[in-house]
Order: sequence, then C-alpha cells, then structure tokens
Amino acid sequence: MKKTLSILAAGVMAASLMAGAAVTAYADDITIWVAEEVTDFTKEKANEFLSSNPDFSGFSVSVEPVGEGDAAKNVLTDVEGSADLYGFAQDQLARLVSAQALTPLMGDNAAFVSENNDAGAVSAASMGDMIFAYPLTSDNGYFLYYDSSVVTDPTSLDQILADCEAAGKGFYMEINSGWYQTAFFFGAGCSLSYETDEMGNFTSCNVDYASENGVKALKAIIALAESPAFHNGSSASNAANCAAIVSGTWDSSVVKDMFGDNYACAKLPSFTVDGEAIQMSGFGGFKLMGVKPQVDADKLAACQALAQYLSGEEVQLARYNAKGWGPSNLNAQADDAVKSDVALSALAEQLAYAIPQGQYPNDYWSLATSLGDSVISGDYKDASDETLMSALQSFQDSCISYAK
Amino acid sequence: MEEKKSIGSRIGAFFRWIGRDLADIGITFARGDWKTRISFLVVGLGQILRGQYVRGISVLCLAAAMLFYIFGFGLSYLKDILTLGTQGRGFNPDGTISLGDNSFLILLYGILTIIVILALVLVWRINLRQNREAQELLAQGKALPSNRKDLYSVLDRNFDKTLLALPVLGIFVFTVLPIIFMICVAFTNYDYNHQAPAKLFTWVGLENFRNIFSIGGEGYGGTFFTVLAWTLIWAFFATFLNYFLGMAVAIMINKKGIRFKKLWRTILVMTIAVPQFVSLLYIGKMFASDGLVNAYLLKWGLIQKAIPFWTNPTYARILIIVINLWIGIPYMMLIATGLLMNIPEDLYESARIDGANSFQMFFKITLPYMLFVTGPFLLTQFIGNLNNFNVIFLLNQGRPQSMNLKGGAGYTDLLVTWLYKMTINDTDYKMAAVIGIMVFIVTAVISLVVYNFLPSVKDEEGFQ
Repeated sequence: MKKTLSILAAGVMAASLMAGAAVTAYADDITIWVAEEVTDFTKEKANEFLSSNPDFSGFSVSVEPVGEGDAAKNVLTDVEGSADLYGFAQDQLARLVSAQALTPLMGDNAAFVSENNDAGAVSAASMGDMIFAYPLTSDNGYFLYYDSSVVTDPTSLDQILADCEAAGKGFYMEINSGWYQTAFFFGAGCSLSYETDEMGNFTSCNVDYASENGVKALKAIIALAESPAFHNGSSASNAANCAAIVSGTWDSSVVKDMFGDNYACAKLPSFTVDGEAIQMSGFGGFKLMGVKPQVDADKLAACQALAQYLSGEEVQLARYNAKGWGPSNLNAQADDAVKSDVALSALAEQLAYAIPQGQYPNDYWSLATSLGDSVISGDYKDASDETLMSALQSFQDSCISYAK
Repeated sequence: MEEKKSIGSRIGAFFRWIGRDLADIGITFARGDWKTRISFLVVGLGQILRGQYVRGISVLCLAAAMLFYIFGFGLSYLKDILTLGTQGRGFNPDGTISLGDNSFLILLYGILTIIVILALVLVWRINLRQNREAQELLAQGKALPSNRKDLYSVLDRNFDKTLLALPVLGIFVFTVLPIIFMICVAFTNYDYNHQAPAKLFTWVGLENFRNIFSIGGEGYGGTFFTVLAWTLIWAFFATFLNYFLGMAVAIMINKKGIRFKKLWRTILVMTIAVPQFVSLLYIGKMFASDGLVNAYLLKWGLIQKAIPFWTNPTYARILIIVINLWIGIPYMMLIATGLLMNIPEDLYESARIDGANSFQMFFKITLPYMLFVTGPFLLTQFIGNLNNFNVIFLLNQGRPQSMNLKGGAGYTDLLVTWLYKMTINDTDYKMAAVIGIMVFIVTAVISLVVYNFLPSVKDEEGFQ
C-alpha cells in the first residue's frame, strides 16, 4: 500500500502545490495544449494572431503537445496548473464543466460559436443552455474502411463477415467500447442520453436499452462476436490481419497504407436480426477547444480572442489542408477540397444516421466495456431472450443510477 | 491470546508513560527556579539566561518557526478540517472566477498543521528537559556544557541525528504525510462528483468501508472478494510455481553429466536481458485474437476460430500465470544454482551410502535446505506478487471486465491494478483509498503470520 499510496498522493500533492504558483507566475504567457500532430501548426497560427493584433502584444504563447484524451485527464488532476487553452474530445465536456475547468462563453463569444458551426458541433459544446467551448472539428465519428478486393458488398454486415471468413481475414470493430457499441443500439432504435445542468451535473437519464430493440441489438453484437473473422479493436495500426475496420478519419493514412489500391470507405453496414435488416447508427463527435477559468480579465479576453481565431474558418481550413482534420465551420465545410475527400464523405454519409454525441458520465464508458467484455467472453452465448433482457435491465439500471 | 495481552500491556505502558511524563513536567515546574519556570512560557529563554546560547536559540528558533507556520498559515486551514470547507467557487458575471474553499488543501494542510502542533509540543518538552538538566547540574556544583561543545556535538555525540535529519524529513514529506492523507481520504466522499478545487468534499465516516463489504445491489462487496481471491491465487501460483520450476531447472542443469551447462544457463538468462515491459507487451500482442499464435494455429488448420486467450476469464488467468513463469524461472534458476552448490556434498554422500534414492535426497536434504535459506525471499516474492502491477497491466490491463463486476474491475485485476484504474480512469479516490488500506491489511497480515512460521526465524541455528 505504501508505495502505491505514496505515488498517488505525491502526484496529487505535487500538482496542487504547484497550483498556487501557476496562477500568478506566468501571467503574460498563454499556454496551449493540442494534439502532437498539430503542435507546430498551432504555434505558427497563434504567433501569427498575436503579431497581427497589437491589442494583445503583451502576451506570448507556448504550445505543448498533449493529446486530447490526456489533456482532459491532466486538467482534471490539476485545474490550476493546466494550460490556458486546450483541445479535447467532446465526450470529456461534462467532466471538465463539473470540475469548473472551462470558462462559459457569453455574449459575442457564444454567438460566434453558434453562428459559424454546424448544429451538431454547437450542441456538443453546450451543457444546458450554455456554450463552454469552441468547436475545432466535426470529424470525430466512425465509418467503415474496407479492402475492396475482399469485401464485395460493404452495405451488409453479414456479407462483410462472410467475405472476410472466406478470405481468412479479419473484421475489426471495438464492441467493448461505449462509443462503438451505440452503432448497434442506436441503429435498432434504442436511445441513451443524459440531461445535464450548467454545473456539469447529470440530472436525468433517458435510456431504453431494456427493450425489444435492445435485445435485437445485443443479439446482433453477440452474433458478430461469434464470427471467426471478428476481432475486437479499432486501431488500424494494431490490426494485424485486416480486411475491414470500423474507425475514424484519424486512421485514414494508416488504412491507406494497409489497403493500398484497394483502399475504400463507406458508411457503416446494416446488420440482420431475425430476418430484419437494420442500418447501423452511432455517435457523431467533435473536437473542441476550451478556455481555462482566468482570474485576470485582460488575459481572459486574450484567451477568448485566440481561441476564436484558432477555431475560425481560416484556421480550420488551413488545418484540414495541413493535417486532414475535418472542419466544423460551415464555410470551411463548403470548400471543394473538403467535399472531395473519400473518408470525410463516407463520414458525412454516416453522420446522417448518427446521433450527435451528447454528454455521458465517465462510469458509462466503464460499464459499456464491461458489457462488451461479457459478450466477447461468451457469457451470453446461446442465451435466451430473458437472460439478455435481464442483462440489459441491469445495464439500464446502472446507467440511470449515474444521474442524480 | 499472547499477542492480545502484549498489545494490551503495551497500551497500558503507554498511558503509564504519559502519566509519568506529566508528573515529571509538574515536578520540573514545582522544583524549578525562575529561569526554568520562564521557559514554560518562552521556549529557550532559560537556556539563554544560563549562557547556553546555542541550545536556547536553536529551540527558540524552532518553536518560533512552528508558531509562525501555525498562526500565519496552518490555522486558516485547520479551522475547517471538520467540514473540509463550506464555500464553493463560482463564476462572476464578467466571466472570471472567484475561488472558494479547497477541500483538498484544507485536508492536506490541516493534517500538516496538526503534526506541526505535535512537534511544537515535543520541542517544548525537550526545552523543559534541558532546563531541568541544567538546573540539576548547577545544583550539584558542576559546570554546564559549553556552547562550543554543544555545537561540536552535532558532529560528534549527536552525529546520528545530523545524518538522519534530511532522510527523515524526506520520508516524512514524501511518504508519511501522503499516507496519512490517503488514509483520511478513505473516510471522505472525494470522487468524481466531489472534485477539488471546483467542488467540496467532506467526511462520510465508515460509509466507504460499508460499501466495499456489502454484497449485492450496488455494493462493491462481490467485486472486492472476486478480485481479492484472484489476487491471492495469482500470488500463490506466481510465487511457488516459479520457485519450484526454477529450482527444478537449476537441479537439472547442475546434474553431473549434463553437457554445455553454461550454454543452457546463458539461453535462460537471455530472457532477463530483454527489458520486462518490452517482452510482456509483445507477448500480450502475440496472444491477441489476431496475434501470431492464433494466426498460425488457424493457418495450420488446428483450430477453426481464434482462441479467446485474453477475453475468456479462465484462459486469461491461466495464460498470465504461465507467461509469468517465463519471466520468473530464469531468476529463480540463477538464485537456486548458487544455493545448490553450497549444500555440503558430504550430506549427499552419506545419504547415498545409506541407500537413499534421488527423490528421498531431494525431499530430505535439498528442499529443507532451500526452504530454510530462501524462506524470507519467498515471503518477499509473495508480497511482491500480491502487488505485481507490471505483469498484469502490461499483459492485458486486468481485462476482461464483466457486467458481474462493479467499478470497472476485470477478472484478472489485482487489487493494485484495480486501484490504479479507479484513480486514473474513474477519479474515484475514496474507493481507491479504501482499496489501498485493504492491500495494506492483506500484505501486513500475511507478512507477519508467515514470517513467524519461517524455519529460518523459528530455528536460526538450523543449518549451521
């Protein structure tokens, strides 16, 4: 215990001890955390902004590479010591708002976000009626990548599996993730969403997984897990024997290398339960940039202006051209280069079936992994409808218990 | 019963000691001259008045620094320690934030302040003792130790204290204080919904302990006992299988007539040369559903469908133990090789003359000797395996999880990896702290009980 406790506590303590210093020490320096691949890009753009805006000449920026997932974790461990601006995936918004790690946007700032971005991105940046962050991308969804020499019909899951089995290749989908699982449940007509208040608390849960539709979806997941071609995973670089994979735009270059000339993308397939074909749904997701709460009003203004610039049309388009991040800005989306991207158009096609991802309590993701792992371990192999229903009932009860 | 009695008598002795000490303080005051008595109020003044400037000024400075900390900083946190803060933080209309109470810092600095107050009492007591000694020396007509002698004593008679000062301070700040802090967290509701500095957390008494032992419903009991059972099973197999198989390999290589002894040893030691985390990561990958092992079995037509090595709880547990053998056997072989060569050859010779076969010789000579020598080593191995974070986490992160387990635990999670997941993934500090205390209890009980049964402890002279 000694060792683990002390590591744990020393970390938390060191973080909090630094907290006091961090608020005051570098008052003129705006720190930014973004994903590693756009670090240099962001640094260049932020400096361009500062040099063209003499109002903020007293400020300087330092950009550090911190991935979107880590950023939220680091911020939550130590709000005061974190960066002034940071990029994060929108599923972390509720956690961050409830830890008061984001400055709510008001007046012109809120209007800027709601007027310039697509509706899904705006709702993803909101809690209650309040907007908390600036959308950076509208590409955090998933769709199907496939090898066109193996897969003959990318619209049917059964056909994809049959083709993969025949070729001795794998179909990859991370069904023990709460993010990918919803492709089945939402497709079958179930819903799972949470109401939140402006403090980031979850007030109520709308869920109907314990229903006929839920059982259909779970049956489809179980059937998928039983296929010899199935592998649980969503990272293309870890997929060893892959003919089709459900993943997002961030994997496009890896998949392109893997499939070569046979590289192809499509919306997600439909699955068949009891003779009924159901189109897969899923989450549409977004990357956001948030502003840390500031004690100093001048610095807050500088941070807001910089975040607006980094999430505006010009920079979003530049970021697409440089790094392939799909824009959330409406004007940038209308650009010809963006429209002709294969992966982005498959995603756009899928987003028509997808549900803009709202806020989910952190426990939901753990719970969904448990459900997926239970399916993969064969807990529900040949299970009766009643067994499945009771499993879904307990899942649903747990989901509801997270909102209080 | 004997254990209990001794604890009882120790507690009694403690209170008697406090009583004696209080009486001693009274006597010091009653018999003290005015210089001693004034030191009750101003620490160190008596020493200074008697010309013992070094002693006087050092205790005076210490006490002053502590008082400065307590009144200048500590008390503002200590006053809230019963509630851990009442004033939340909020946003102002202009978008800036006004900071409220920080439960985390209140708890941390509150504890620190209590410790400083205790230390202050200690300094005050030391100061009284110095006064009394000085007064008694003077009454006997002897001279007081000079200031120069006092100064030199930190390099001479008190050199141990000088040397230990820094390490003790470090251990206090980085180990003792965090442990006290984390034990306290187990009695609060510090979790995702009560995260400092944005939200306040507060004391909840034994609520978290009730949760960890309550089975059924939303309680963590079922999960806790599943994880605890696997932790013990894992530690048992990981320790003893490695031990006996490592010893067996060493005996085989040591056997007379085996050729290329050095070659075999070198091959086994090669596994040590590759860093453990590298080999664990790639072996974990090899057994994945699309990994090398499954790919070849499928290719050769031995199986029709990938074997769920990591996703089936039973397979995963067995595989982890087996892979751990591969890491552990070479180490054990090295240790056993050295020890086996130390067993006096004449023991075997006389056994052979008496007509013992090799099994009898192993169980009557080799094994007792090995157990005697490696008993404490086995115990530390067992305790180490209870907390063997690396192997579990690098191989499969404690997966598979299940709907039957709460709190994100998986079937191959040890208590310590579950604790890690709780803190990092679920920010559930309160339950993690409880698990931490449980890990301590389990390891402490096992260590104490087993230690007292070790042959090398019970019978120190055994193989002399």
